[in-house]
Amino acid sequence: MDLHLFSQFLISGLIMGVLYCLMSMGINFIYGIMKVINWSMGEFFMIGAFIQYLLLESFIGAEYWYIGVIISACAVFVLGALVQVILIKPMFVGIIEAKMEYVTIITISLAIFLRNLALLIGGPYIYTPPDYAKPTQLLTLPLSGNRLVAFIGALVLLGLFYFFIKKSWTGKAFQGVAQNRAGVQTSGVNVLRYDMLAFGLGTALAGAGGALMAPIFSVHPLCGLAPTIRGFEIIVIAGLGSIPGILVAGLLLGFAESLGSAFISPSFVDIYGFILLVIVLSIKPYGMFGKAERTV
Amino acid sequence: MNLFHTKYLVFLILVLFAAFLPMYIGEYWQYVLTIAFFYAILAASWNLLSGYTGLFSLGHHSFGMIGAYTSTLLMTKAGIPFWMSIPAGILLTMLMSSLMGIMCLRVSGLYLALITWAFAEVARNYFRLHYTFTGGDRGLESPLLFGTIQPTPYYYLFLGLLIATIILIVLIMRSRIGYYLKAIRDDSIAARSMGVNIVRYKIFAFAVSSGLAGMAGAFYGHSIGLISPIMGDFNEMAMIIIFVVIGGIRTMPGPVIGAIAVRILMELLRAQSEVRILILSLLVIIIMRFFNGGLLELYRQIKQWINKDKNGGTSAYHEIETPKQGES
Repeated sequence: MDLHLFSQFLISGLIMGVLYCLMSMGINFIYGIMKVINWSMGEFFMIGAFIQYLLLESFIGAEYWYIGVIISACAVFVLGALVQVILIKPMFVGIIEAKMEYVTIITISLAIFLRNLALLIGGPYIYTPPDYAKPTQLLTLPLSGNRLVAFIGALVLLGLFYFFIKKSWTGKAFQGVAQNRAGVQTSGVNVLRYDMLAFGLGTALAGAGGALMAPIFSVHPLCGLAPTIRGFEIIVIAGLGSIPGILVAGLLLGFAESLGSAFISPSFVDIYGFILLVIVLSIKPYGMFGKAERTV
Repeated sequence: MNLFHTKYLVFLILVLFAAFLPMYIGEYWQYVLTIAFFYAILAASWNLLSGYTGLFSLGHHSFGMIGAYTSTLLMTKAGIPFWMSIPAGILLTMLMSSLMGIMCLRVSGLYLALITWAFAEVARNYFRLHYTFTGGDRGLESPLLFGTIQPTPYYYLFLGLLIATIILIVLIMRSRIGYYLKAIRDDSIAARSMGVNIVRYKIFAFAVSSGLAGMAGAFYGHSIGLISPIMGDFNEMAMIIIFVVIGGIRTMPGPVIGAIAVRILMELLRAQSEVRILILSLLVIIIMRFFNGGLLELYRQIKQWINKDKNGGTSAYHEIETPKQGES
């Protein structure tokens, strides 16, 4: 294998790694604030992709795809906030005995519900939105324009999100909620409202991801599945609740997949991530950057 | 143990009813009930692992698939007879789930769900992608156990398997081990400090429940005649959860009743096949949101409402789980 081909695989690994990061960032953010895992993340991704496809095909042209990404992210934000208010909030205000079990069952049923609703409305067809950009070249390497656009878009979204969390007042309140729910209430933060915002933001990240990656993954009822699997693998490898860990683990997963498909066999691309996961877990059971959760 | 307790009598009557049922219903409904019994075994064994022991696994369906593929591949590729290939399938699933249990020992809660889910997806993708060996998405033809597609023998086979599963789970939960498992769910640190070997019993719960799933899967393959990676699809796991939640989690009859009732309902709704999953998932959301205990909790609430009984517990499983004096 020559250097040319090798660097092409490296770049494809880098791009896919950053795209997977966007997905797991949303899962991780919701976990950080509410200590629950949203299993229906892939369905919010799918809804974002569907809204983007509808917008591009019938309302705004293909050249305004970036407006479509913003609109679909906002729509998914509203939907996610509604879901939180109706279904997840009772966990914190009502009396529910097994909280983890409750949220897992609710979000899994929601995933099945949304998936079959999409199947009912859209049918079992695969829709392909128009290309966002023409194929380009990076020095001498050919590069798909869609991937480059999605890569840059994901980087911009991750950067905006990072600055929002680190710099703004709302972001600081989120940090407080993640650290100590009871303590932050004493300084006047309405935790329940921040839960709603957090759920909406996390799902909006997935929705924006779906809109950005619509030309790469195509649009169909199951299109959120592959990115979600990667998203979960990344947060298990990185450790729940660690933001720099997610970047490292996402890139590691992207490289593992592209190099594995280059050197071993491209048909087992879904399995390399799991092998990486098993290796990491057998060395550090709470992920590379995770802290051991208190087992009480 | 009082053998003439109402619960045993009801169980016996139901078994007798099920045994005489094939004389009165057609082959189609026998087939439907056979599939329902298969899912009832999966649901009951998942309830043992995730309901009673509290190890929330999302990879239970994949053990059924692994059992089915192991037995069928051993028969078709290696020419091993039934009586060896099916136990081999069960043993392999028990081995794999024990390894999984060992891997998940140090983690709990969400990590466990994530890891088992990732394992299930990888298992399904392996059987899909390695198509030269496993047949891929086209599926794999499996030799029939009784050499016929007539459903009556398979109906009795799965009825027997289901009864054996229920008895095994009841025996486990009534023995000392059952109390260990429940103690692990409620508070594993307190259990360990009281001298429960939590490592051994967590692995035990994984091995037994997955072994039951593998057994059901192996027999399922040989009764249907065709197995495919659909068995490992996440929808199957969601169906198991739906059965258990609708029936009532952490109850003994709940998963079995839930599985059979929902399968029959799904057959009746076959004409509206797109909306039935929608309705079921909505039903689960509503049940979880409003009555946190499934059909049995609803029954208990209605009974309580009729009797105007003020001394009811907080949820269904208190009534069923608490050992009565002099019973066990």
